[in-house]
Amino acid sequence: MSPPDRDDGVEQAARRREDSADSRRVAPARSTDERAPTLTADDIRYAYGDEPLFSAASLSVAPGEVLTVVGPSGAGKTTLLGLLGLFRPPDAGTVRWEGRDVWGRSDEERLAIRRRIGTVFQEPALFNESVARNVGYGLRVRSSWRDRLRDAAARAIGRTDPSDRVREALETVGLAEKADRNALSLSGGEAQRVAFARALAVEPDVLLLDEPTSNLDPRNTAVLEAVVAEAREAGLGVVVATHDMHQAERISDRVAVLLDGTVIETGPPEQVFDDPDDPRTRKFVTGELLY
Amino acid sequence: MLLQSAVLPDAGWNYFLSIVAVSLYVSGTAVALSTLASLPVALAVGFGDFPGKRAVAAVINTGMGFPSVVVGLLVLLLVSNQGPLGELGLVFTPKAMILSQFVLATPVITSISLSAVESVGEDVRDAAFALGGTDADVALAVIKEARYGIVTAVLAGFGRAISEVGSILIVGGNIVYSDGTSYTRTLTTAITVEARQGRYEAGLVLGAALLALVLGVNWLGSWVRSRGRGRGSQ
Repeated sequence: MSPPDRDDGVEQAARRREDSADSRRVAPARSTDERAPTLTADDIRYAYGDEPLFSAASLSVAPGEVLTVVGPSGAGKTTLLGLLGLFRPPDAGTVRWEGRDVWGRSDEERLAIRRRIGTVFQEPALFNESVARNVGYGLRVRSSWRDRLRDAAARAIGRTDPSDRVREALETVGLAEKADRNALSLSGGEAQRVAFARALAVEPDVLLLDEPTSNLDPRNTAVLEAVVAEAREAGLGVVVATHDMHQAERISDRVAVLLDGTVIETGPPEQVFDDPDDPRTRKFVTGELLY
Repeated sequence: MLLQSAVLPDAGWNYFLSIVAVSLYVSGTAVALSTLASLPVALAVGFGDFPGKRAVAAVINTGMGFPSVVVGLLVLLLVSNQGPLGELGLVFTPKAMILSQFVLATPVITSISLSAVESVGEDVRDAAFALGGTDADVALAVIKEARYGIVTAVLAGFGRAISEVGSILIVGGNIVYSDGTSYTRTLTTAITVEARQGRYEAGLVLGAALLALVLGVNWLGSWVRSRGRGRGSQ
Protein backbone atom coordinates (compact mmCIF):
# COMPACT_ATOMS: atom_id res chain seq x y z
CA MET A 1 0.00 0.00 0.00
CA SER A 2 1.41 3.37 -0.97
CA PRO A 3 2.01 6.14 1.59
CA PRO A 4 -0.76 8.40 0.24
CA ASP A 5 -3.32 5.70 1.16
CA ARG A 6 -2.07 5.67 4.68
CA ASP A 7 -2.16 9.43 4.76
CA ASP A 8 -5.73 9.39 3.48
CA GLY A 9 -6.74 7.14 6.33
CA VAL A 10 -4.96 9.33 8.84
CA GLU A 11 -6.45 12.50 7.33
CA GLN A 12 -9.97 11.09 7.39
CA ALA A 13 -9.62 9.99 10.97
CA ALA A 14 -8.04 13.32 11.93
CA ARG A 15 -10.96 15.17 10.32
CA ARG A 16 -13.38 13.07 12.33
CA ARG A 17 -11.40 13.96 15.43
CA GLU A 18 -11.67 17.68 14.67
CA ASP A 19 -15.40 17.37 14.05
CA SER A 20 -15.75 15.47 17.27
CA ALA A 21 -13.67 18.03 19.16
CA ASP A 22 -15.83 20.83 17.70
CA SER A 23 -18.98 19.13 18.87
CA ARG A 24 -17.49 18.80 22.34
CA ARG A 25 -16.66 22.50 22.37
CA VAL A 26 -20.15 23.51 21.26
CA ALA A 27 -22.02 21.24 23.62
CA PRO A 28 -21.12 21.36 27.28
CA ALA A 29 -19.48 18.20 28.55
CA ARG A 30 -22.20 15.70 29.28
CA SER A 31 -23.00 15.14 32.86
CA THR A 32 -22.05 11.61 33.74
CA ASP A 33 -23.22 12.04 37.31
CA GLU A 34 -26.77 11.04 36.42
CA ARG A 35 -25.73 7.89 34.62
CA ALA A 36 -25.32 4.68 36.50
CA PRO A 37 -21.78 3.41 36.13
CA THR A 38 -21.31 0.40 33.90
CA LEU A 39 -18.09 -0.88 35.45
CA THR A 40 -17.03 -0.19 39.01
CA ALA A 41 -14.12 -1.18 41.22
CA ASP A 42 -14.87 -0.85 44.94
CA ASP A 43 -11.97 -0.83 47.37
CA ILE A 44 -10.09 -3.46 45.45
CA ARG A 45 -6.85 -4.86 46.81
CA TYR A 46 -4.27 -6.76 44.86
CA ALA A 47 -0.79 -8.02 45.66
CA TYR A 48 1.96 -9.72 43.71
CA GLY A 49 3.12 -12.31 46.21
CA ASP A 50 3.79 -10.46 49.44
CA GLU A 51 4.03 -7.06 47.79
CA PRO A 52 0.72 -5.20 47.88
CA LEU A 53 -0.01 -3.11 44.81
CA PHE A 54 -3.38 -1.65 45.79
CA SER A 55 -4.63 -1.20 49.30
CA ALA A 56 -8.06 0.16 48.44
CA ALA A 57 -8.53 1.43 44.90
CA SER A 58 -11.96 2.57 43.74
CA LEU A 59 -13.18 3.98 40.45
CA SER A 60 -16.05 3.69 38.03
CA VAL A 61 -16.89 4.48 34.43
CA ALA A 62 -20.31 5.40 33.08
CA PRO A 63 -21.67 5.16 29.52
CA GLY A 64 -20.43 7.97 27.29
CA GLU A 65 -17.59 8.85 29.63
CA VAL A 66 -13.82 8.85 29.21
CA LEU A 67 -12.06 8.17 32.50
CA THR A 68 -8.30 8.49 32.42
CA VAL A 69 -6.15 6.78 35.03
CA VAL A 70 -2.85 8.59 35.50
CA GLY A 71 0.00 7.62 37.74
CA PRO A 72 3.71 6.95 37.70
CA SER A 73 5.22 3.85 36.10
CA GLY A 74 4.78 0.89 38.41
CA ALA A 75 1.73 2.37 40.15
CA GLY A 76 -0.36 -0.52 38.89
CA LYS A 77 -2.32 1.02 36.03
CA THR A 78 -1.96 -2.09 33.85
CA THR A 79 -2.90 -4.38 36.75
CA LEU A 80 -5.91 -2.21 37.52
CA LEU A 81 -7.08 -2.48 33.92
CA GLY A 82 -6.49 -6.24 34.06
CA LEU A 83 -8.78 -6.43 37.10
CA LEU A 84 -11.41 -4.30 35.35
CA GLY A 85 -11.08 -6.51 32.25
CA LEU A 86 -11.77 -9.58 34.43
CA PHE A 87 -8.42 -11.17 33.65
CA ARG A 88 -8.16 -12.10 37.34
CA PRO A 89 -10.13 -11.46 40.52
CA PRO A 90 -8.95 -8.90 43.08
CA ASP A 91 -7.63 -10.20 46.40
CA ALA A 92 -10.34 -8.19 48.17
CA GLY A 93 -12.96 -5.66 47.22
CA THR A 94 -15.54 -5.88 44.46
CA VAL A 95 -15.64 -5.42 40.71
CA ARG A 96 -19.19 -4.64 39.63
CA TRP A 97 -20.87 -4.70 36.25
CA GLU A 98 -24.06 -2.64 36.19
CA GLY A 99 -24.08 -2.71 39.98
CA ARG A 100 -23.66 -6.46 40.49
CA ASP A 101 -20.56 -8.25 41.72
CA VAL A 102 -18.87 -9.91 38.76
CA TRP A 103 -16.87 -12.54 40.60
CA GLY A 104 -19.94 -13.76 42.46
CA ARG A 105 -21.56 -14.83 39.19
CA SER A 106 -21.28 -18.04 37.19
CA ASP A 107 -18.51 -18.56 34.63
CA GLU A 108 -21.03 -18.21 31.81
CA GLU A 109 -22.34 -14.91 33.13
CA ARG A 110 -18.83 -13.62 33.63
CA LEU A 111 -17.90 -14.63 30.08
CA ALA A 112 -20.93 -12.73 28.81
CA ILE A 113 -19.79 -9.65 30.74
CA ARG A 114 -16.21 -10.03 29.56
CA ARG A 115 -17.54 -10.04 26.02
CA ARG A 116 -19.02 -6.60 26.61
CA ILE A 117 -15.59 -5.20 27.43
CA GLY A 118 -13.01 -4.37 24.77
CA THR A 119 -9.34 -4.08 25.68
CA VAL A 120 -6.41 -2.56 23.81
CA PHE A 121 -2.93 -3.09 25.20
CA GLN A 122 0.20 -1.02 24.92
CA GLU A 123 1.50 -3.51 22.34
CA PRO A 124 -0.98 -4.44 19.58
CA ALA A 125 -0.44 -8.24 19.95
CA LEU A 126 -1.88 -9.02 16.53
CA PHE A 127 -2.32 -12.54 15.22
CA ASN A 128 -0.25 -13.79 12.28
CA GLU A 129 -3.05 -13.55 9.74
CA SER A 130 -4.77 -10.89 7.68
CA VAL A 131 -5.94 -7.59 9.11
CA ALA A 132 -9.56 -8.54 8.44
CA ARG A 133 -9.15 -11.89 10.23
CA ASN A 134 -7.62 -10.10 13.21
CA VAL A 135 -10.50 -7.65 13.40
CA GLY A 136 -13.02 -10.45 12.99
CA TYR A 137 -11.53 -12.61 15.76
CA GLY A 138 -13.85 -11.39 18.50
CA LEU A 139 -16.86 -11.96 16.27
CA ARG A 140 -15.74 -15.50 15.45
CA VAL A 141 -15.30 -16.57 19.07
CA ARG A 142 -18.83 -15.32 19.72
CA SER A 143 -20.28 -17.42 16.91
CA SER A 144 -21.33 -21.06 17.16
CA TRP A 145 -18.88 -23.87 16.41
CA ARG A 146 -20.97 -24.76 13.40
CA ASP A 147 -20.53 -21.26 11.95
CA ARG A 148 -16.87 -21.36 12.78
CA LEU A 149 -16.42 -24.64 10.92
CA ARG A 150 -18.32 -23.18 7.98
CA ASP A 151 -16.04 -20.15 8.08
CA ALA A 152 -12.96 -22.42 8.16
CA ALA A 153 -14.27 -24.41 5.21
CA ALA A 154 -15.00 -21.25 3.23
CA ARG A 155 -11.53 -19.99 4.03
CA ALA A 156 -9.94 -23.27 2.92
CA ILE A 157 -11.41 -22.83 -0.55
CA GLY A 158 -10.55 -19.13 -0.60
CA ARG A 159 -14.10 -17.82 -0.28
CA THR A 160 -14.02 -15.33 2.53
CA ASP A 161 -15.42 -11.88 2.74
CA PRO A 162 -15.04 -9.61 5.77
CA SER A 163 -18.30 -8.94 7.58
CA ASP A 164 -19.88 -5.49 7.62
CA ARG A 165 -18.79 -4.96 11.21
CA VAL A 166 -15.18 -5.76 10.34
CA ARG A 167 -15.31 -3.30 7.43
CA GLU A 168 -16.95 -0.68 9.60
CA ALA A 169 -14.34 -1.06 12.35
CA LEU A 170 -11.53 -0.83 9.82
CA GLU A 171 -13.07 2.29 8.29
CA THR A 172 -13.24 3.84 11.75
CA VAL A 173 -9.46 3.55 12.10
CA GLY A 174 -8.78 4.44 8.44
CA LEU A 175 -7.44 1.03 7.42
CA ALA A 176 -10.25 -0.38 5.28
CA GLU A 177 -7.95 -0.72 2.28
CA LYS A 178 -5.48 -2.86 4.18
CA ALA A 179 -7.99 -5.55 5.14
CA ASP A 180 -6.18 -8.24 3.15
CA ARG A 181 -2.67 -7.41 4.29
CA ASN A 182 -0.92 -9.64 6.79
CA ALA A 183 -1.25 -7.86 10.12
CA LEU A 184 2.38 -8.48 11.03
CA SER A 185 3.53 -6.51 7.98
CA LEU A 186 1.98 -3.27 9.24
CA SER A 187 3.82 -0.37 10.86
CA GLY A 188 3.54 0.06 14.63
CA GLY A 189 0.94 2.80 14.31
CA GLU A 190 -1.17 0.86 11.85
CA ALA A 191 -0.92 -2.25 14.01
CA GLN A 192 -2.25 -0.36 17.02
CA ARG A 193 -5.10 0.99 14.88
CA VAL A 194 -5.94 -2.60 13.94
CA ALA A 195 -5.92 -3.48 17.66
CA PHE A 196 -8.45 -0.67 18.19
CA ALA A 197 -10.59 -1.91 15.30
CA ARG A 198 -10.43 -5.44 16.74
CA ALA A 199 -11.75 -4.20 20.08
CA LEU A 200 -14.44 -2.03 18.47
CA ALA A 201 -15.72 -4.68 16.04
CA VAL A 202 -17.42 -6.58 18.87
CA GLU A 203 -19.36 -3.43 19.83
CA PRO A 204 -18.36 -3.38 23.50
CA ASP A 205 -20.04 -1.27 26.18
CA VAL A 206 -16.75 -0.47 27.87
CA LEU A 207 -13.34 0.05 26.30
CA LEU A 208 -10.17 -0.40 28.36
CA LEU A 209 -7.07 1.18 26.85
CA ASP A 210 -3.69 0.54 28.42
CA GLU A 211 -1.17 3.19 27.34
CA PRO A 212 -2.58 2.85 23.83
CA THR A 213 -0.53 5.57 22.17
CA SER A 214 2.70 5.53 24.16
CA ASN A 215 4.70 4.07 21.25
CA LEU A 216 3.00 6.04 18.48
CA ASP A 217 3.84 9.12 16.46
CA PRO A 218 1.62 12.22 16.76
CA ARG A 219 -0.39 11.42 13.62
CA ASN A 220 -1.37 7.93 14.74
CA THR A 221 -1.97 9.27 18.24
CA ALA A 222 -4.38 11.81 16.74
CA VAL A 223 -6.22 9.08 14.85
CA LEU A 224 -6.66 6.96 17.97
CA GLU A 225 -7.72 9.90 20.11
CA ALA A 226 -10.37 10.57 17.47
CA VAL A 227 -11.51 6.98 17.78
CA VAL A 228 -11.77 7.39 21.56
CA ALA A 229 -13.88 10.52 21.06
CA GLU A 230 -16.13 8.65 18.63
CA ALA A 231 -16.52 5.77 21.07
CA ARG A 232 -17.49 8.25 23.78
CA GLU A 233 -20.03 9.87 21.46
CA ALA A 234 -21.43 6.41 20.71
CA GLY A 235 -22.07 5.91 24.41
CA LEU A 236 -19.19 3.65 25.37
CA GLY A 237 -17.51 4.00 28.72
CA VAL A 238 -13.77 4.34 28.11
CA VAL A 239 -11.01 3.83 30.67
CA VAL A 240 -7.57 4.97 29.51
CA ALA A 241 -4.40 4.31 31.48
CA THR A 242 -1.71 6.78 30.53
CA HIS A 243 1.19 8.76 31.91
CA ASP A 244 0.74 11.41 29.23
CA MET A 245 -0.83 14.33 31.15
CA HIS A 246 -1.50 16.31 27.98
CA GLN A 247 -3.40 13.42 26.48
CA ALA A 248 -5.35 12.96 29.71
CA GLU A 249 -6.29 16.64 29.58
CA ARG A 250 -7.34 16.40 25.92
CA ILE A 251 -9.53 13.33 26.00
CA SER A 252 -10.90 12.93 29.53
CA ASP A 253 -14.21 13.67 31.15
CA ARG A 254 -12.68 12.64 34.45
CA VAL A 255 -9.18 11.86 35.61
CA ALA A 256 -8.28 9.38 38.37
CA VAL A 257 -4.87 9.67 39.99
CA LEU A 258 -3.40 6.33 41.07
CA LEU A 259 -0.71 6.81 43.70
CA ASP A 260 0.46 5.02 46.83
CA GLY A 261 -1.68 1.98 46.13
CA THR A 262 -4.97 3.82 45.88
CA VAL A 263 -6.90 6.30 43.76
CA ILE A 264 -6.09 9.48 45.67
CA GLU A 265 -8.23 11.82 43.62
CA THR A 266 -10.82 11.74 40.86
CA GLY A 267 -12.32 14.70 39.08
CA PRO A 268 -12.61 16.67 35.86
CA PRO A 269 -9.25 17.30 34.19
CA GLU A 270 -9.29 21.06 34.90
CA GLN A 271 -9.73 20.36 38.59
CA VAL A 272 -7.17 17.55 38.83
CA PHE A 273 -4.52 19.32 36.81
CA ASP A 274 -5.11 22.97 37.84
CA ASP A 275 -6.61 22.83 41.29
CA PRO A 276 -6.17 19.39 42.84
CA ASP A 277 -7.51 18.54 46.28
CA ASP A 278 -4.62 16.30 47.23
CA PRO A 279 -1.15 17.89 47.48
CA ARG A 280 0.38 14.64 46.13
CA THR A 281 -1.56 15.13 42.89
CA ARG A 282 -0.10 18.60 42.44
CA LYS A 283 3.41 17.24 43.08
CA PHE A 284 2.85 14.37 40.63
CA VAL A 285 1.45 16.64 37.93
CA THR A 286 4.28 19.16 38.24
CA GLY A 287 6.88 16.40 38.31
CA GLU A 288 8.04 17.21 41.83
CA LEU A 289 6.96 13.87 43.23
CA LEU A 290 9.84 11.48 43.59
CA TYR A 291 9.02 7.77 43.40
CA MET B 1 -1.14 -66.23 8.24
CA LEU B 2 2.05 -67.54 6.76
CA LEU B 3 5.51 -66.40 7.52
CA GLN B 4 7.89 -66.45 4.67
CA SER B 5 10.94 -64.56 3.66
CA ALA B 6 10.64 -62.74 0.39
CA VAL B 7 12.99 -61.58 -2.29
CA LEU B 8 12.33 -58.31 -4.05
CA PRO B 9 12.96 -59.51 -7.64
CA ASP B 10 10.57 -62.48 -7.20
CA ALA B 11 7.65 -60.61 -5.72
CA GLY B 12 8.33 -57.50 -7.78
CA TRP B 13 6.08 -54.49 -7.54
CA ASN B 14 3.55 -56.06 -5.22
CA TYR B 15 6.23 -56.70 -2.64
CA PHE B 16 7.63 -53.19 -3.01
CA LEU B 17 4.28 -51.41 -2.92
CA SER B 18 3.04 -53.42 0.05
CA ILE B 19 6.16 -52.50 2.00
CA VAL B 20 5.66 -48.81 1.21
CA ALA B 21 1.98 -49.07 2.16
CA VAL B 22 2.74 -50.75 5.51
CA SER B 23 5.47 -48.17 6.23
CA LEU B 24 3.10 -45.27 5.52
CA TYR B 25 0.21 -46.84 7.41
CA VAL B 26 2.24 -47.62 10.54
CA SER B 27 4.20 -44.37 10.69
CA GLY B 28 1.31 -42.16 9.53
CA THR B 29 -1.07 -43.62 12.12
CA ALA B 30 1.56 -43.45 14.88
CA VAL B 31 2.36 -39.82 14.08
CA ALA B 32 -1.32 -38.84 13.87
CA LEU B 33 -1.98 -40.39 17.29
CA SER B 34 1.20 -38.85 18.69
CA THR B 35 0.14 -35.43 17.48
CA LEU B 36 -3.25 -35.80 19.14
CA ALA B 37 -1.57 -36.78 22.39
CA SER B 38 1.30 -34.29 22.18
CA LEU B 39 -0.56 -31.03 21.54
CA PRO B 40 -2.62 -31.04 24.76
CA VAL B 41 0.52 -31.92 26.75
CA ALA B 42 2.52 -29.16 25.04
CA LEU B 43 -0.29 -26.67 25.73
CA ALA B 44 -0.69 -27.77 29.35
CA VAL B 45 3.03 -27.56 30.05
CA GLY B 46 3.48 -24.40 27.95
CA PHE B 47 0.55 -22.57 29.56
CA GLY B 48 0.83 -24.00 33.02
CA ASP B 49 2.72 -22.56 35.93
CA PHE B 50 3.16 -25.46 38.33
CA PRO B 51 5.89 -26.89 40.54
CA GLY B 52 8.09 -29.30 38.63
CA LYS B 53 7.37 -27.76 35.25
CA ARG B 54 11.06 -27.77 34.35
CA ALA B 55 11.37 -31.40 35.38
CA VAL B 56 8.43 -32.33 33.15
CA ALA B 57 9.99 -30.46 30.23
CA ALA B 58 13.31 -32.22 30.91
CA VAL B 59 11.61 -35.63 30.87
CA ILE B 60 9.92 -34.80 27.56
CA ASN B 61 13.23 -33.68 26.05
CA THR B 62 14.98 -36.78 27.35
CA GLY B 63 12.31 -38.88 25.64
CA MET B 64 13.57 -37.64 22.29
CA GLY B 65 16.62 -39.78 22.77
CA PHE B 66 14.89 -43.02 23.78
CA PRO B 67 16.80 -45.94 22.18
CA SER B 68 14.36 -47.56 19.79
CA VAL B 69 15.40 -51.13 20.64
CA VAL B 70 14.70 -50.49 24.33
CA VAL B 71 11.28 -49.08 23.41
CA GLY B 72 10.70 -52.14 21.24
CA LEU B 73 11.62 -54.45 24.09
CA LEU B 74 9.32 -52.66 26.54
CA VAL B 75 6.43 -52.67 24.07
CA LEU B 76 7.04 -56.36 23.39
CA LEU B 77 6.83 -57.07 27.14
CA LEU B 78 3.63 -55.07 27.22
CA VAL B 79 1.90 -56.80 24.30
CA SER B 80 3.37 -60.30 24.58
CA ASN B 81 1.03 -63.09 25.65
CA GLN B 82 2.20 -62.83 29.27
CA GLY B 83 2.13 -59.02 29.26
CA PRO B 84 -0.63 -56.71 30.55
CA LEU B 85 -1.97 -56.21 27.01
CA GLY B 86 -1.42 -59.83 25.99
CA GLU B 87 -5.14 -60.56 25.69
CA LEU B 88 -5.43 -58.06 22.87
CA GLY B 89 -3.26 -60.21 20.63
CA LEU B 90 -1.16 -57.35 19.39
CA VAL B 91 2.21 -59.02 19.26
CA PHE B 92 3.72 -59.20 15.74
CA THR B 93 0.99 -57.03 14.25
CA PRO B 94 1.05 -53.57 12.67
CA LYS B 95 -0.82 -52.30 15.75
CA ALA B 96 2.11 -53.20 18.00
CA MET B 97 4.40 -51.39 15.54
CA ILE B 98 2.14 -48.34 15.72
CA LEU B 99 2.33 -48.47 19.51
CA SER B 100 6.12 -48.57 19.55
CA GLN B 101 6.41 -45.77 16.99
CA PHE B 102 3.86 -43.78 18.99
CA VAL B 103 6.16 -44.06 22.02
CA LEU B 104 9.13 -42.93 19.95
CA ALA B 105 7.45 -40.06 18.08
CA THR B 106 5.47 -38.56 20.98
CA PRO B 107 8.41 -37.01 22.87
CA VAL B 108 9.75 -35.53 19.62
CA ILE B 109 6.43 -33.95 18.67
CA THR B 110 5.70 -32.84 22.24
CA SER B 111 9.11 -31.28 22.75
CA ILE B 112 9.17 -29.30 19.50
CA SER B 113 5.49 -28.31 19.90
CA LEU B 114 6.24 -27.15 23.45
CA SER B 115 9.00 -24.87 22.15
CA ALA B 116 6.61 -23.55 19.50
CA VAL B 117 3.84 -22.93 22.04
CA GLU B 118 6.23 -21.23 24.46
CA SER B 119 7.45 -18.97 21.68
CA VAL B 120 3.95 -17.50 21.33
CA GLY B 121 3.96 -14.38 23.46
CA GLU B 122 1.73 -14.01 26.48
CA ASP B 123 0.40 -10.85 24.86
CA VAL B 124 -1.20 -12.97 22.12
CA ARG B 125 -2.94 -15.14 24.72
CA ASP B 126 -4.09 -12.02 26.55
CA ALA B 127 -5.41 -10.57 23.29
CA ALA B 128 -7.42 -13.73 22.56
CA PHE B 129 -8.80 -13.69 26.11
CA ALA B 130 -9.56 -9.98 26.03
CA LEU B 131 -11.47 -10.39 22.77
CA GLY B 132 -13.87 -12.73 24.51
CA GLY B 133 -12.14 -16.04 23.95
CA THR B 134 -12.79 -18.99 26.24
CA ASP B 135 -9.90 -21.17 27.44
CA ALA B 136 -10.45 -23.38 24.38
CA ASP B 137 -10.40 -20.33 22.08
CA VAL B 138 -7.16 -19.11 23.65
CA ALA B 139 -5.61 -22.58 23.21
CA LEU B 140 -6.69 -22.66 19.56
CA ALA B 141 -5.30 -19.17 19.00
CA VAL B 142 -1.95 -20.28 20.43
CA ILE B 143 -1.92 -23.43 18.28
CA LYS B 144 -2.67 -21.30 15.26
CA GLU B 145 0.12 -18.88 16.06
CA ALA B 146 2.49 -21.80 16.66
CA ARG B 147 1.34 -23.68 13.55
CA TYR B 148 4.63 -23.52 11.66
CA GLY B 149 6.50 -24.90 14.67
CA ILE B 150 3.86 -27.60 15.10
CA VAL B 151 4.13 -28.62 11.43
CA THR B 152 7.89 -28.89 11.97
CA ALA B 153 7.25 -31.04 15.06
CA VAL B 154 4.98 -33.40 13.12
CA LEU B 155 7.53 -33.69 10.32
CA ALA B 156 10.29 -34.44 12.82
CA GLY B 157 8.07 -37.04 14.48
CA PHE B 158 7.33 -38.63 11.12
CA GLY B 159 11.03 -38.66 10.28
CA ARG B 160 11.79 -40.38 13.58
CA ALA B 161 9.02 -42.96 13.01
CA ILE B 162 9.55 -43.86 9.37
CA SER B 163 13.31 -44.19 9.65
CA GLU B 164 13.16 -46.29 12.81
CA VAL B 165 14.04 -49.99 12.60
CA GLY B 166 14.90 -51.45 16.01
CA SER B 167 11.57 -51.43 17.81
CA ILE B 168 9.36 -52.43 14.86
CA LEU B 169 11.66 -55.31 14.12
CA ILE B 170 11.17 -56.55 17.69
CA VAL B 171 7.41 -56.01 18.02
CA GLY B 172 6.42 -56.49 14.36
CA GLY B 173 8.50 -59.52 13.49
CA ASN B 174 9.27 -58.38 9.91
CA ILE B 175 6.57 -60.68 8.49
CA VAL B 176 5.51 -61.15 4.86
CA TYR B 177 2.59 -63.21 3.52
CA SER B 178 3.10 -66.32 1.45
CA ASP B 179 2.34 -64.34 -1.70
CA GLY B 180 5.33 -62.18 -0.96
CA THR B 181 3.46 -59.06 0.15
CA SER B 182 4.17 -57.37 3.45
CA TYR B 183 2.29 -57.85 6.69
CA THR B 184 4.65 -56.16 9.16
CA ARG B 185 7.64 -55.54 6.95
CA THR B 186 8.49 -51.91 6.36
CA LEU B 187 11.07 -50.17 4.20
CA THR B 188 13.62 -50.09 7.02
CA THR B 189 13.19 -53.70 8.10
CA ALA B 190 13.20 -54.82 4.45
CA ILE B 191 16.54 -53.04 3.98
CA THR B 192 18.01 -55.03 6.86
CA VAL B 193 16.81 -58.26 5.23
CA GLU B 194 18.25 -57.34 1.85
CA ALA B 195 21.56 -56.29 3.37
CA ARG B 196 21.81 -59.43 5.47
CA GLN B 197 21.24 -61.56 2.38
CA GLY B 198 23.79 -59.65 0.33
CA ARG B 199 21.25 -58.13 -2.08
CA TYR B 200 22.70 -54.68 -1.91
CA GLU B 201 21.03 -53.41 -5.10
CA ALA B 202 17.60 -54.25 -3.71
CA GLY B 203 18.59 -52.62 -0.42
CA LEU B 204 19.66 -49.46 -2.23
CA VAL B 205 16.40 -49.32 -4.17
CA LEU B 206 14.43 -49.58 -0.93
CA GLY B 207 16.71 -46.99 0.68
CA ALA B 208 16.12 -44.60 -2.20
CA ALA B 209 12.37 -45.14 -1.84
CA LEU B 210 12.59 -44.38 1.89
CA LEU B 211 14.54 -41.19 1.22
CA ALA B 212 12.06 -40.16 -1.48
CA LEU B 213 9.20 -40.73 0.96
CA VAL B 214 10.82 -38.60 3.68
CA LEU B 215 11.70 -35.88 1.17
CA GLY B 216 8.15 -35.92 -0.17
CA VAL B 217 6.63 -35.52 3.28
CA ASN B 218 9.06 -32.71 4.09
CA TRP B 219 8.25 -31.00 0.83
CA LEU B 220 4.55 -31.26 1.68
CA GLY B 221 5.27 -29.66 5.06
CA SER B 222 7.24 -26.84 3.46
CA TRP B 223 4.43 -26.28 0.99
CA VAL B 224 1.86 -26.07 3.79
CA ARG B 225 4.04 -23.61 5.69
CA SER B 226 4.70 -21.41 2.67
CA ARG B 227 1.01 -21.45 1.77
CA GLY B 228 0.13 -20.39 5.31
CA ARG B 229 2.66 -17.57 5.31
CA GLY B 230 1.44 -16.31 1.95
CA ARG B 231 -2.19 -16.13 3.01
CA GLY B 232 -3.30 -12.67 3.85
CA SER B 233 -0.06 -11.06 2.77
CA GLN B 234 -1.11 -10.14 -0.72
